[in-house]
This record gives sequence, structure tokens and C-alpha cells, in this order.
Amino acid sequence: MMNMNRRHFLKSTALAAAVAAAQQRANGNYENTELDAALASDGVKWDKAPCRFCGTGCHVRVGVKDNKVVAIQGEQLAEVNKGLLCVKGYHVGGILYGKDRLKEPMLRKNGKLEKITWDEAIEVIAKRVYDKPSEFAIYGSGQWTIPEGYAAQKFIKGGLSNNHIDPNARLCMASAVTGYLSTHGVDEPAGCYDDLDACDVMIMWGNNPAEMHPVLFSRVIDRRTKGEEVKLIDIGTRRTRTTEYSDEYLEFRPQSDLAIANGIAHLLIKNGTYDKEFVSKFCNFRKDTESPSLFGQASTFEEYSQLLEEYTPEHVEAISGVPADKIRMLGDLFGRRDIRITSLWCMGVNQHTRGTNMNRLLHGIHMLSGHFGKPGDAPTSLTGQPSACGTAREVGTLAHALPGGRIVAKDDHRADCEKLWNLPKGRINAKPGYHTMKMWEQFCTATDQGGDINTVWVQVTNPGHTLPHLKKHFQNKKNLKDKFLIVSEVYPTATTKLADLVLPAAMWVEKNGVFGNSERRTQQWFKMVDAPGNARDDCWMTIAVAHKLYEMGLEGMKDKNGNFIFNIVDESGSTVPVWEWKHYYDVNTDEQLYNEYREFTFMKHKDVAPYDELVKARGLRWPVVKKEDGKWHETPFRFMEFSDSYVEKGKGLQFYHSVTKDDKALIWFCPYEAATEEPDSEFPVWLCTGRVLEHWHTGSMTRRIPQLRNAMPHAYLEMNPEDAKEQGLSNGDIAIIETRRGKIELPVWLDGRGHPPRGSIFVPFFDENLLINELTLGDIDPISKEPDYKKCAAVVYKKGAPSPLSKSKG
Amino acid sequence: MATLSRRDFFSRFIPKASEPEVTSKETAGPKVAIIQGRFCLAYQNSFCSVCKERCPESGAIVSERGIPRIIADKCTGCNICHNVCPAPTNAILMTSPPENHSGATPTDTQPAHPFF
Ligand code: SF4
Ligand code: SF4
Ligand code: SF4
Repeated sequence: MMNMNRRHFLKSTALAAAVAAAQQRANGNYENTELDAALASDGVKWDKAPCRFCGTGCHVRVGVKDNKVVAIQGEQLAEVNKGLLCVKGYHVGGILYGKDRLKEPMLRKNGKLEKITWDEAIEVIAKRVYDKPSEFAIYGSGQWTIPEGYAAQKFIKGGLSNNHIDPNARLCMASAVTGYLSTHGVDEPAGCYDDLDACDVMIMWGNNPAEMHPVLFSRVIDRRTKGEEVKLIDIGTRRTRTTEYSDEYLEFRPQSDLAIANGIAHLLIKNGTYDKEFVSKFCNFRKDTESPSLFGQASTFEEYSQLLEEYTPEHVEAISGVPADKIRMLGDLFGRRDIRITSLWCMGVNQHTRGTNMNRLLHGIHMLSGHFGKPGDAPTSLTGQPSACGTAREVGTLAHALPGGRIVAKDDHRADCEKLWNLPKGRINAKPGYHTMKMWEQFCTATDQGGDINTVWVQVTNPGHTLPHLKKHFQNKKNLKDKFLIVSEVYPTATTKLADLVLPAAMWVEKNGVFGNSERRTQQWFKMVDAPGNARDDCWMTIAVAHKLYEMGLEGMKDKNGNFIFNIVDESGSTVPVWEWKHYYDVNTDEQLYNEYREFTFMKHKDVAPYDELVKARGLRWPVVKKEDGKWHETPFRFMEFSDSYVEKGKGLQFYHSVTKDDKALIWFCPYEAATEEPDSEFPVWLCTGRVLEHWHTGSMTRRIPQLRNAMPHAYLEMNPEDAKEQGLSNGDIAIIETRRGKIELPVWLDGRGHPPRGSIFVPFFDENLLINELTLGDIDPISKEPDYKKCAAVVYKKGAPSPLSKSKG
Repeated sequence: MATLSRRDFFSRFIPKASEPEVTSKETAGPKVAIIQGRFCLAYQNSFCSVCKERCPESGAIVSERGIPRIIADKCTGCNICHNVCPAPTNAILMTSPPENHSGATPTDTQPAHPFF
């Protein structure tokens, strides 16, 4: 009966989510056998694809008729979501059909964007590169497909030798990367979503999965509905929808999460409840060097204990505001061996001027207490983008990285890449390129003042909306006549507003693709419909520009035999001219780029699955290894013998890429340090920014879906009713928020979705008309270079009331 | 100073910054809203609270453990919840007031069922 409901729900979803749009499978070489049965009599053809939005990585079934996506269902064969989707997922088909889709390349002439041909556009870009190859940068994203990111990576690092490529993931999970690297010696979570099915306690650190990873969170809530006991602990700076489901809510003063984690470690040692066997077998200790560094310096258990000495529950209470007995409660939980604890975190921990340290501390308390290495015992960071892991982290599209966990600073890693890419020795530059914040700062600085990034090509992201302190990092470009901004986009955005060249892009199922989600799961899909007008694949754009440069004789576009660096071939092995759009889909370019990339993944045991296996699966978690049975097996739990075939027999647990080369992980001591900008008498409240359930990031897709836009029409200011009263503000009144960087007017929403404590406000960032990032801080973590969007000092007052600042400033 | 009515505030969400709503409104009549559980996202544990957040009548939509329920007595039939419901099939049905005070039909009050 329940199942009938479910089925009914899904069925009606398929009908109701119908949006306009034609079926032309780009590469019909493969059959999704399992979906053949789903081919309906109404002529709708179904195929699988990962959802376009968040890092949860749900799979959807896409119904296509007459070259249009007409229906969406949750994919029941997918382990991640087992048929369920969140409100965004159910409407994902609609993102293709906004009225203002970009359909033609446009060049800015006399201040106006005017239609040009693709040939002209490719030439304009090639010329910018040719003139100043060392000042050309690509800014990409965790929404790049793996082949797209790989092509851009090869173009910049193997072709232009300047390493100026970075993804928006820098703004998002860079601190998670440095956290994993400095703990395990290799990036990405050891655990996976299965931990959520097995844990007894789930602790969410500055995390609101009920809104940001809803399908994942429902996995836990469903367990409760079934009568299982799972204790949820929300450690946050404001009450959210997640809090409503939590057994405990511990509210901390922003930035003091560091002290809470240290308080737990302090108690584990004080009470002797840390896992002595685990620690002696699997852990070494570390602390930071004088100036922060990725691997710090060696430490000892004794020194570690001593450094933690001051973090008594009372001291932690004084810093964080969390009552000492709650810190003891956490200490007791971690001290227990009979329960399994999963920690989840996302932007609250990562977008933090001590984000790397906070990541380290979370790994540390799990290691110290032995809550690691068993299903349900896991410290797991979540990602916000569908391929932040797949494309940013694994393909290594970061300014310092190379594919498969390699880095440009290492001679042997560069040599390795040069070999795999068949490039002359020394082609890859040993100097890391500019990370996101630096790249944009250099771009927005006049050339004669040292701004040595001349042209940026933005692909699949919206920095004019998301960069912190937008004036400094983006809007200042406006007055710099010699700088040139190229933007590949699907809709007009805050970024295209300043673009000199706009390239219309194909999106999601309008192209072939591969994503990698938060749990190391690589997911593949095929092109199902044509892109509108003259919109084309991002990957094609990169290859077309590269080939134009090859024709112009740019040495970097040749391998060591003088051949073009992107060699896509047909079955007979002869080159297919995929740089000509009419030939791009003659073969599966995606598959060939993916196969080339796959060779890079073995060194760090991140073996992604063969393409053909991905075609059949609903994603596979790497390392994917062929076993004696001749079949390919995924690895839900990394480093753990029962799951990971790279662990030596009998070891149980093995950190086989250990920093200390002894198969051990590192437990770090990192102190609590104050935020770089804290409230003061002038700017007395904390400003936190974030997302909402209905809109995905900058809303460029979701705000074009009527249902989602109606459900969440625009940004708002969330504040404590007491604070509002003091300012004479009530629901719907317009407030002015001011920081040292700018000011904005926003309507107040009291007792809405979130409930900030006194002295703290929250503003979602999805709204293009109300850009809160004009106010955010832009200070970065010294190791990961990730900026803090979660805290800065602000002042709020009612519109029409005199500015409190005018008094002090006169 | 222009104060907007509670109703304006919630139907347009927040004034000034609002853009026109994309769907057409149905005319409000002497009706009450009911939530059809089989279409409601919250009932599938897919987390939604839009109707409750936007209902201008305090207490007309209550929620327990994230599942919304309409209190027919308090509902004025203003239609806002129907207009803003983002479920793939609109989960809010505007119907004639029931004889007894139940906001939901019996089949709709089932608890969310386990999904995984
Ligand atoms: S947005 Fe995230 S949670 Fe929602 S359906 Fe898509 S992948 Fe799943
Ligand atoms: S129709 Fe009733 S329940 Fe719906 S918003 Fe109006 S008053 Fe609230
Ligand atoms: S708005 Fe619609 S889907 Fe959301 S909780 Fe209300 S009835 Fe359910």
C-alpha cells in the first residue's frame, strides 16, 4: 500500500514534471538494458543521468520525446537516492528551457554584446591567447564534466605552461582537500554514504543537510521512521531546518568550532577514553609550523596532550558559548566504543579562515577515539557541486595540481604527466598558477600596476555572483579596458554582464558527460537532446580554440612529435577533426578523453571505472578494481581491508598514501584562533551567508523554473526577532546591511526558515538582484586559500532610519 | 511608511524585491486547502515547508516533524499555499470546507514511510 503511494507519486511526477523539448541520442552504441523495460508506449524514451545540481549525486531518469526532455523521475536503480529526489531534482528538466537561453556567441562592441559567428569567436579567443599565453587563465568549476575539466587542464598546463587554471571549488571544498591531504596523505573521504545507514550518532558541524543535501539527510530520517534509533546532533551557529530533526542543538559563537573539537580531544585524553590501540597502530601526531603549511611538523602524543591541556570544558564554554556539560556529553559519546559516530560537514567548516585546521581537527577526534574504519564511524565532508570531487579534485583542475593527485611542484609528477601526454620534457611549469582569489585580484588590477592576468575564460560557473568582496575581485574589471573576460554560459548572469565575449553552452543532457559525487562515485550519461540555437559543448570550445592555436603555430599545442595535443580518433585509429563542430559527435569524444584521463588515476589508487562499466552502472565508487571473478568492483570504504583491495592482507586498516610513509594517518593539534574580522562597536553583528533548498547556488538555473522561483522568489535577511525589535524592524520591512565593503537593502524575514541567535544575521546568496557577496569578506585560509563566507562584521538598521555609522564617521 | 498587509507580504513573499509570480493565480473562493499527501514532498521525507512558511494565517498550517497539516478552521481559502507549492504535482487542493474539522483526508494523514 505504501509502495503504491510511492509508485503513484513517481508516476505522477513523471507526467507533471513534463517540460517542453527531442530525442536524439548522440551515441547510440550503448544500451541501458535495465531501462528498456521503461520505454513507454507513449513514445517517451527514458535514460539515466545524475542530477545537475548538488554533490549528493542523485540519479534521475530523463524522459525524452521529440528532442525534448519531457519528464523526470527519481532513478530507483540508483543506490544514492533509490528513486527519491529533492524539489530541485524533480524540476531539473526545466533548467534547459528558460526563455532567455543563450543561443549565439556574442562579442561586446561599443559596450553592447553583438552576435558573431563561432568561427569569429574561436578566433578572438585564440588571438588573446596567442598574444599573451602566460597571462591567459581559465576559471572553471565543480560543474565541469570530467572530460571538460580534463581538456581545460591539459590545455593550460600541458599546452600554455602557465598553470593558471582554478575551479570555483576553491571557494567551496579546498579546505576539505587540504584536510584530507594533511591527514591521510591523499585527498577524498575514506567513508561514503553507507555510513549514514550504519551510524548511531550523526554529528553535523555547521551543516544543514535538510536543505543542502536533502536526499542524503532523508536516508537518516527514513531510518528513524522505520523505528531505528539515530541520535542527531546539530552543532551550528543558527537554528535551521536540520535543527528541527535534531536531538541536540549546540549553538556556538562563530569560529569557535575549533575550540569545541579541541575540547572533545581534551576530554578523551583526560578521561583516558581515547582508543589507545588505534592510535598506536595507525596514528602519528602533527602540529603546525611557525607559518602555516600543509604538512606542518612532527609532534608527539605527549606534546599533543599538553597542547590540549587548556581546552577544558569550562574554557571551551567561555570561548564558544556551548555549556561545559554539552562538551562533556560530546566527549563521552566519542569515548564510547559501543556506538558508531559519523560527522558531516560542508561549507560551515570549509569556508573558514581556519578551514584546513577545522578539517584536521574533525579527522583528529575521529582517529583519536577510533571512530574510524568501520561502517558508520566516519568523518565525511560533503560537496556542494555535482563534480567538485570528480573534476576539481580528481582531475586536479587546481592551480597547483595535476591529474590523479599529482602536483606541479614535484619533478616526478610533472615528468609523469609529460610522459602520459607525450609532451617534451619540461613543458609543464613547476610554478603553481594563481589560485582563484589571486587570479581574480590580478585580473581586476590594472596591467601597469602588476595585474598580470590579462584574459580569463570562465566555464560553467558564475564568479560575478559568487566571489567574495565582489568589487575587489570582479567588478573592478569594468574600468580596465585592456582586460578581456570570456564567459561560456547557458543564461545571462552577473558574470556575463561584464563579459567581453559570451559563448552559448550546451548543458547537462544536451551533451555527454561524467561527474564525480561526494562519495567518490563516478557517474556517466549520454547526450539526449540537442542544445538550442548555436549553443555548443564546453569541451568542444576548448578543443576548437586549442586547434586554432595549433594552426597558428603555437608550440604548446603540439606534443613532442609535433601532433595536436587532443587526438580523437575513429575505430580505424585515424584522427577525427572534432574541432569542427559538425564532426564533434562523429565519435564519443568524452569517452576518449575519459580513457586518457583514467590512466592518471592509478598512481594514487583512485582508479576510476572503465567507461563501459560506468555506462551500465548508476555510478561506481573508486577505486574500481577488477577481481579474480573477472568483474569490476567498487570500493565503498577506502583504506579498510574488508572493502579496499589495495590494503595489504592482514593490515586491517592501511593509510597507504601516508604522509609519514608508515601507513599511519596524522592527528593534528590546531589551536582556536579568532576570526579575522569580528563584530565590534561599529559593526556589531556577525553576517553569515549560505544557500536555500529551492535554489542551487547562484540560481541561474533554478530561478528559471517557475515552481522553484515561486517557492523562493528572492533573497531576504534573517535575524533574531529581539534584534529586529531593537531596530524597529518587523517582517517585510526593508533593512540596510552594511559591512566595511558595501551595503545592501533586504527585506526582513523573521521566524522563517532559520533562526539566528542575537547578534547574528543570515542572508542567502542565490539572488542575482541582491548580491550579498558585495559585502562578504574575502579573507582566506592560509593553506587552502579558501575564503570565509560565513562570518564578517556587519551593521543592520531600518531603511529610513539614520545610519548608525554616520554618527561615528561624522 | 508603507506597511504591507500580512497577506501581501506572504503572497509576494517580500515586497519590492519581488518579481512577478510566474504561474497564474486561481481565484480564491469559499474554499479551504487540503494537502494531498501522495503528492507532497514533505510526506516523502524530501523536506519542504513552503506552504507553512507562506501561509498568512497564523496556525492554519502546522507541522510536526517536518510534515505539514492544514487546520481547516483557520484556513481562509486564500490560495497562497496552492500558488507556491513547488511539488511536481501541486499537492494543495482547494476544496469546499469539510463538515468536520479535518484538514486532510484520511489517506493523506499517513506518516511518511521508510524509503531506503
Ligand atoms: S539537488 Fe542534490 S539532493 Fe536534490 S535531487 Fe539533485 S542531487 Fe539529489
Ligand atoms: S489557503 Fe488556507 S492554508 Fe493555504 S495559505 Fe491560505 S489560509 Fe493558509
Ligand atoms: S508546499 Fe507543497 S510540497 Fe511543500 S510541504 Fe506544502 S504541500 Fe508539501
